Amino acid sequence: MPHSTLEHTADTGLEASADSLPQLIEELALGMFELMAAIGGCPDDHMVEATVEATSTEDLVVDTLSELLYLSETEGVHFCRFEVEPGGKFAVEIQATGVATEDVELTGPPIKAVTYHQLQVVETDEGWTATVYFDV
Amino acid sequence: MEPTRLSDVVWEIAREGGMRVPGRIYASDAIMEAVLQDRSVDQVANVAHLPGIVEASFAMPDIHWGYGFPIGGVAATDIDDGGVVSPGGVGFDICCGVRLIASRFDESEFHENAGEVMAQLDRRIPRGAGKGGIAPGSLTGEILRDGAVAAVEAGYGVERDLERCEENGRSDGANPSTISDKAIKRGSDQIGSLGAGNHFLEIQVVDRIEDPEAAQAFGLAEGMVVVMIHCGSRGLGHQVCTEHLRLMGDAMARHGIEVPDRQLACVPVGSEEGQRYLGAMAASANFAWANRHILAHETRVAFAAAFGSTPDETGMDLVFDVAHNLAKVEKHQVNGSEKTLCVHRKGATRAFGSGHLGLPGDLRDVGQPVLIPGSMGTASWVLKGLTDNPAFGSAAHGAGRLMSRKKAKSQQSGRDVRRSLEERGIAIRPGSVGLLSEEADYAYKDVDAVVDVCKRAGLAAPVARLVPLGVVKG
Repeated sequence: MPHSTLEHTADTGLEASADSLPQLIEELALGMFELMAAIGGCPDDHMVEATVEATSTEDLVVDTLSELLYLSETEGVHFCRFEVEPGGKFAVEIQATGVATEDVELTGPPIKAVTYHQLQVVETDEGWTATVYFDV
Repeated sequence: MEPTRLSDVVWEIAREGGMRVPGRIYASDAIMEAVLQDRSVDQVANVAHLPGIVEASFAMPDIHWGYGFPIGGVAATDIDDGGVVSPGGVGFDICCGVRLIASRFDESEFHENAGEVMAQLDRRIPRGAGKGGIAPGSLTGEILRDGAVAAVEAGYGVERDLERCEENGRSDGANPSTISDKAIKRGSDQIGSLGAGNHFLEIQVVDRIEDPEAAQAFGLAEGMVVVMIHCGSRGLGHQVCTEHLRLMGDAMARHGIEVPDRQLACVPVGSEEGQRYLGAMAASANFAWANRHILAHETRVAFAAAFGSTPDETGMDLVFDVAHNLAKVEKHQVNGSEKTLCVHRKGATRAFGSGHLGLPGDLRDVGQPVLIPGSMGTASWVLKGLTDNPAFGSAAHGAGRLMSRKKAKSQQSGRDVRRSLEERGIAIRPGSVGLLSEEADYAYKDVDAVVDVCKRAGLAAPVARLVPLGVVKG
């Protein structure tokens, strides 16, 4: 599977793999929102765009996921589809699509933040892998 | 690394490697057995690496695996000796805490009106993910500056509530100018909201009094219906912590600091970054105190509507409000000398003993109320702080998780958990039934056992045991 849940006593984590860094971020974003609510299909009800710039690959992953949490909460949208394009050395441009949060039933607790706890973003011969834990 | 027993319920992790102090865990044998199942011991040892840390990296008996700090972690750093402040030692939910409210109602009165009480709370208490709060976003600026004081001035609650709130509901060190536009935008639609996850509003009854004198001083009596509210600074606090962790992560190298876990990112308290964080943390704490204050106000209104009375006639006075995710600048004795310390309590409660000038006048002879909620469906406790507390005036904050959310969900469905609570006579209004199994009692330690260790370790002494009658959850 491109992404799977990691167990943690109080919180929750994800590990993911993909061919490229933008695809890895897409998988992590998808996994993060699926932890909160898994919805069948993904209507194009709401779409937001953002640019994220960082100073390292790890920071780019954390900052992008954090930005998506911020947009989800302030726009009231539960995202379910992501398109991530490279925007520079440690930068991406994201397009996130989803449905109104009020129309979604939570199957997991809302994620408060992305942590640096045991954060790993690694480029391998096969592509990219990452481990990220979230505060719920 | 293996903790070794120092005494009855005190265990030590010996200094090794980069640890500046030993680790000290308060736990019974059964609790320690559970502690060793996850990575919390390693986290206690990691916290011991913080520059300026004094005496020990402490862990309360509800300790479990966190991110950076263990949940139940306490660490004090000597500010005058380059001691650091770490946002991870406070947590993303800055000033998450518990508020306990008394009432004039007894259990039979609640049961006669339970349907209407629960319906009123269901309607009036915003909860779940995202937007929706009782108070308007236009109050955000005042709340960041003046906390619960601003809420009273805006017509929510009463001034007496401020006397029984830690810091009187307003931190003097707040610097609202350090709060980003993003944090304000996240929080302004959530003023007066419960959130979700392990946050709750629970109606309880005082089941047993252990310390009649302290109970009377606190305003509690056996058979009294009380309300406990657990929540924090919502999205505003989460954003503030996220931003400052990032800033500190970048700043650490300039201060020559390395930590074993990046979630322990820290800077000297006296540095520009440190002062900026403390100002933002204090403003976020003000938001949390105002949040709980406004929820308490709305709870009074709900009870009044259900019982056909006025909010004043409900007798719903504040017993106490205490934070369990905060860093406080406090004076403590260290090796016979008074030191100014930055005391981090991450999932740990302040627990000052009698005589402390930081306590309200009417509680100064008794000690500070310490509020320890149990898990959903189990007991909660009120304790009192003790003067010889060995952990810089700190105690446990809850039952402490025992198993992961995934494992908890695999044990029972949310519907089964709901049915089980209702069969035991506990009314429940969940925001999402699917989340209930993650918060079921089997996912947590035995709160009675946690309180027993607090007593045996001299952290806090039991005053009253509370049992649930109804729960409102996100």
